[in-house]
Amino acid sequence: MSLLSILGILSSAIFSGTSLLYATLGEIVTERSGIVNLGLEGVLLISAATGYGVTVTTGNPFVGVLAAMLVGGLVNLIFGFLVVSRRANQLATGLTVLFFGYGLSALIGKPFIGKMIHSLPRYLLPGLDFLPLRYTSLFKFDLLIYLVLPVTIFIWWLLFRTRWGLGVRAVGENPETAYASGRNPGAIKYQALFVGGLLAGLGAAHLSLAFTMNWAEYMTGGRGFIAIAMVIFSKWHPIRAIAGVLVFSGAVAFQLLLQVMGVNISPFLLDMTPFVLTLVVLLAWGGTRKHSAPATLGRVYQGTE
Amino acid sequence: MKNLYRVLAITLVLIFVLSACVTPAPAPAVAPTTAPVVVEPTVEKPTAPPAVAVPPTEAPTAAPVKEEVCLIVGATFGGPIMDSGYNQAMDEAVMAISKKYPCVRIIKAENVYDEAGATTTIESMISEGAKMIFATAYAHQYPALELSKKYPDVIFEHVGGWEMSANFANIFGQPPDVWYMMGVAAGMMTKTNKLGFVAAFPLAWTNVFVNAYTLGAQSVNPKVQVIVAYTFGWGDSAKEAETTNSLINQEADVITMHVDSPQTVVSTAESRGAYSIGYQNLAAQQFAPKYWITGSGFTLGDKFTWLASTVMDKTWKPIFLRCGLADGCMAIAPYGPEVPQEVKDKVAEVQAGLEAGTIVTFAGPIVDQDGNEKIKKGEVLTDDAMSTVDWFVKGVVGNPK
Repeated sequence: MSLLSILGILSSAIFSGTSLLYATLGEIVTERSGIVNLGLEGVLLISAATGYGVTVTTGNPFVGVLAAMLVGGLVNLIFGFLVVSRRANQLATGLTVLFFGYGLSALIGKPFIGKMIHSLPRYLLPGLDFLPLRYTSLFKFDLLIYLVLPVTIFIWWLLFRTRWGLGVRAVGENPETAYASGRNPGAIKYQALFVGGLLAGLGAAHLSLAFTMNWAEYMTGGRGFIAIAMVIFSKWHPIRAIAGVLVFSGAVAFQLLLQVMGVNISPFLLDMTPFVLTLVVLLAWGGTRKHSAPATLGRVYQGTE
Repeated sequence: MKNLYRVLAITLVLIFVLSACVTPAPAPAVAPTTAPVVVEPTVEKPTAPPAVAVPPTEAPTAAPVKEEVCLIVGATFGGPIMDSGYNQAMDEAVMAISKKYPCVRIIKAENVYDEAGATTTIESMISEGAKMIFATAYAHQYPALELSKKYPDVIFEHVGGWEMSANFANIFGQPPDVWYMMGVAAGMMTKTNKLGFVAAFPLAWTNVFVNAYTLGAQSVNPKVQVIVAYTFGWGDSAKEAETTNSLINQEADVITMHVDSPQTVVSTAESRGAYSIGYQNLAAQQFAPKYWITGSGFTLGDKFTWLASTVMDKTWKPIFLRCGLADGCMAIAPYGPEVPQEVKDKVAEVQAGLEAGTIVTFAGPIVDQDGNEKIKKGEVLTDDAMSTVDWFVKGVVGNPK
């Protein structure tokens, strides 16, 4: 195992973990307000397709990122209309959003398949320019990667250190009490969904505009669901999500490293390891007594009339 | 106001449900799966196909030929036809028929992923009058074979398979020889003596390509190793990027692939400063302006056109057709700017040798990774045997099953 391959795992985990972390942060914010969005995968697909399409059309990846964010927020607002205003079942609605996302993203992305984009520019970590290209290209990150940790800390600050965050958490724990203390649970849920959608859009933009530089149907490959698992892994806490995402993406990179080292284990088994690892961690985590999930997660708020 | 919201909610739910349905409903999201796209060369044809019809925007407005329809050809694709990859190459081949014979009407269906979808799609094409079917995806072979028994008057051509019957035949290029040539180029270009191969699944054909590529590379550079890693998906772009990076981190400096679209692999290799070799479609070169070596693609248009013409004049016979570079069924992409003349000359020399028969890709003795002799001296791996290859030749790092 060479130095390059070890650094490579780190770099791979950062590259592929960034989109996952943004999506996880988004889901944390919405779940903190008591709403579980199982359609996250669909939101990611729609955002990724839109971001790619806008980038191809305008030639500017930053416009694509903005478009992906806005569309993510918008789709989440549609979801919010159904589950908050219309009080539909969150799980069932989430699944319809998922399939809606499959269809709509395929439709949006179709004209742009195989089109070339200017991907998000990458900047080398300062102080590493003496290394050969094969090493420096490991640490040439795009803006969204540099921003992911500050954004994580910002989301933590937003949820735990601001009045707005207090409102979100209060609505997630007990909307009646929040209402009694003068908050509007419906409005707060909408706001949380919009913020969550913006973050999911950022994740999707990173996936299609920076990491793969490509749009392909169903390209998220289940990452939306992994993000939902990461939310549970992190116990609904933004900072802990970093660890979860690094473990998962690191495991993906590590199993690939085992494959390319020619380890004599079936590649089918190796490909499963990140998912098995996630499952094991979730099982081990689940044993703790203290409930960390928002108390009214997934429950329909009937209003206080 | 409340009623308005109710109506809005119901409309939204309806949109969601409709878009989730497989039936090509006229909802905004008809794009996925099995809606056959009808390309109408004859403008005056009033008998529009039934419920399965689709946006006429798809049809090229050209070819305003007022002629009787002489043949209806149905073509099914396993992915989107604009993928700069295999499906695009197949689409170009099918469209070549109507370019030569404007009276041929072509019905296309993209994104037919699974066997069930292939069966219903092909049946609906036949019910629209298709007398010839091109099933271009690997997964469409057995559905098409089953239907060939049910519709004995329809001619079926499958691409890349091996089954044959009275009205069902198979056609393909000869990728192994081309892969051998790609290997020659890669073996000369590498500085680390490690070549990376991004593969979708451990399939027999993929193994054959890996083996041919390795043998080609070893013929010019005995020290070369080929590292294989799998993505377990024909179009999982993120996994393709990760796999490419992982191969480069293992010091591979030439990357090639056997996945549907070469786009992500080629772009990622370019961003890491590694050479790339494309496959499936020649269009991949645009994604690697600097580190592109070369690539290969399918150009089956002439053969498809010839097959269609034999159906029209009723001389079609089931032929197990394999055609290579010399027949024009495959083509080599232009070289990238970094490739020196000696590499180009050597590849051309090997190509001439393959065409003349002085070089045979799978000529024995060939030993596998564990040193077992798989092909004896004086023997050759036959086309039939290629579909069951579950071993890698010596010099490949990776697990073939």
